[in-house]
Amino acid sequence: MSQLILFNITNGLIVGAFYALMAIGLSLILNLSGVINFAHGGFLVIGGYLSYTLTPYLGFWGALIVAPFLTAIIGWLVERLLIRRVYGRDPLYSLLLTFGLAFIIEDGTRQIWGAQGLPVSVPAALSKPLSYEFFFITGYRLFMVAMVAVLIVLLFVLLRYTRSGIRVRAGTLDLETVSALGINVRALRSLNFSVGIFLAGFAGVLAAGQLGLDPNMGDGLLMPSFIAIIVGGVGSLTGTLLGGLLIGVAAGVTAVFFPSASDAIMYVMMAIVLLVRPRGLLGEEGMLS
Amino acid sequence: MVSRIIARPVNRRTILKSAAAAGALQIASPFVISARAADNIKIGLDNPLTGTYAAPGKNEEIGCQLAVDQINAKGGILGRKIELLSEDSTSGDAGAAVQKARKLIERDKIDFLVGNVNSALAQAIAQVSNEKGVLHIVPGGHTDPITGKDCKWNVFRVCNTTRMEANAVSQLLYTKYGKKWHFITPDYAFGHTLYQGCEANLKKLGGTITGNELTPLGITDFSSYLIKARAANPDVLVVLVQGNDMVNCLKQISQFGIDKQIHVAGTQQELEAVEAMPPEARVGVWMFEWYWKQAGANPGLDKFVSEIRKRTGKVPTARTWFGYVTIHAYALACEKAKTIEAKTVAKALGDMELPDDVKCQPNKVYFRGGDHQLMLSAFIGELMSKGDGDPENLFKVNSVVSGDSIAPSVAETGCQMQMPA
Repeated sequence: MSQLILFNITNGLIVGAFYALMAIGLSLILNLSGVINFAHGGFLVIGGYLSYTLTPYLGFWGALIVAPFLTAIIGWLVERLLIRRVYGRDPLYSLLLTFGLAFIIEDGTRQIWGAQGLPVSVPAALSKPLSYEFFFITGYRLFMVAMVAVLIVLLFVLLRYTRSGIRVRAGTLDLETVSALGINVRALRSLNFSVGIFLAGFAGVLAAGQLGLDPNMGDGLLMPSFIAIIVGGVGSLTGTLLGGLLIGVAAGVTAVFFPSASDAIMYVMMAIVLLVRPRGLLGEEGMLS
Repeated sequence: MVSRIIARPVNRRTILKSAAAAGALQIASPFVISARAADNIKIGLDNPLTGTYAAPGKNEEIGCQLAVDQINAKGGILGRKIELLSEDSTSGDAGAAVQKARKLIERDKIDFLVGNVNSALAQAIAQVSNEKGVLHIVPGGHTDPITGKDCKWNVFRVCNTTRMEANAVSQLLYTKYGKKWHFITPDYAFGHTLYQGCEANLKKLGGTITGNELTPLGITDFSSYLIKARAANPDVLVVLVQGNDMVNCLKQISQFGIDKQIHVAGTQQELEAVEAMPPEARVGVWMFEWYWKQAGANPGLDKFVSEIRKRTGKVPTARTWFGYVTIHAYALACEKAKTIEAKTVAKALGDMELPDDVKCQPNKVYFRGGDHQLMLSAFIGELMSKGDGDPENLFKVNSVVSGDSIAPSVAETGCQMQMPA
């Protein structure tokens, strides 16, 4: 039994890393722009399908790099044309806008690529389990975790050491002052949104290899990401990362004892965090309570 | 200026509300509006066009439309043209499906209702059609009670019951692969009755169950269930989930190499799911409710396959066939009854045998009068990863057994049919 639990904790970390990648993109956008991006799952789907279309021309590795950039460009356009118009308004506006956008993306995907799921194969070198005993750690899953780790480290380095990154962090805390200091807040938000969407696109490519493609694949991944943000604490990227890993592990361990409750456990955790520590594990005090 | 660009802070409550709305996103759906004419016979299709069952829903619609076009080309039903009105029931929202059924019946005044892929939704809209006295065929919702204890004079079903599916493979799996079974079951009406059927059969055969993993519908990660299943060390891993869940589950089974250690099998398998899997995930022993490639000459089958290929560029699936059979059966019953009045047509449909060009398969295929269940063959065999020279042929049919031989008797289904006077 202890071995089974250990298996599931490791496995939960793998799943959680993926939730975290999704949630960090969501969190970036939320922190700086105050937009709760419901279409985030949609952008994940776009990333996945673009990589499917590009794979015959660029191969798996080429598509892995190009598809997220294309997704980010689409995200940038969406921000310029639509999202920008609802900044500074009641959050309900951005909620409705991105909610509608999510439908449009889902139906658009169905129109272009069809309602039926599409098969995606990962390179043969990655598709095998590493050992007989730890059969659930496949090359691809390890690769996914490694990619998530690299991306997150890269993101944190960018936010800490580059001028734009520092501005994004400053803007998260006090956008008014940042703006008063003469920084172009519009451009900053554009860039920030595109980076968030890039992460969604990348998550989409990784998810396609793991799960295959279908137009609704974003729905099932969006909720855990929201919960990761709430559990980890709004306003804190480290908290979001932690939240993603935590719910992944919790779902994994619950599956050992109560398989049918493995989805519900995330909501239970969210409820407990909200009752005991409403700002989340690492959330900024006062900022969002 | 500054105040315009600075966002209002988002508070925790807003995020909570939006999380609740994200849940709603999965079940809400747009309307589909179709054109209509006055004196035509109207058939309402209340089936998923969005969500997890969008692909089977779409294929049933394609099959329905082919039958409608064929019948209209021959002058329609009793000299009247027929038209198909299609509504999106969503994949899992019974409220939406019922609302669409009411809209079709009350506003569009349809003569005949078709739906639904989802068992729970099929049960919900059967209540409506029964209350309104509209003839109703369920093309692809499998849970037992529809033609069992909840059977109704106006409701017929084309696809198998879950019990028939369990019966089709249980004996084979037991004798060929072993007596310790572990289940992965979807946690809703379809999965529950399917599991009960398998469980009862296995007990009768003398086998044991090492565990049953109830999984939420639409879950993307099966690894924790698979870890548990492998730890239980069964002879057979029986996968009962469907649709995208089936794709994800088999994909993870093959990535983990579990299919090399434990026999992987299940009851119902569908071409939609198999086509969405990468070749290495196409493993195991299953039953198809209908398959496009059959041994022996069958002109009706060849014509059906080529017509569908002309329309979609692909071969038909069992879902396409369900839609096709549903409309043709209705037309045949109307012609036999010489009216479209629901009660008379329902009587004509009971015990009606389907002709060769409609049934597209060997064995006798007919609606059983006692419970209104279609007795259709089960195609039992193995998945082929790449097809045997034909990339579209992904299933090797080992045997085709008749519906009679796998169906429980009418008395066993619990159906007490009350036909109106």
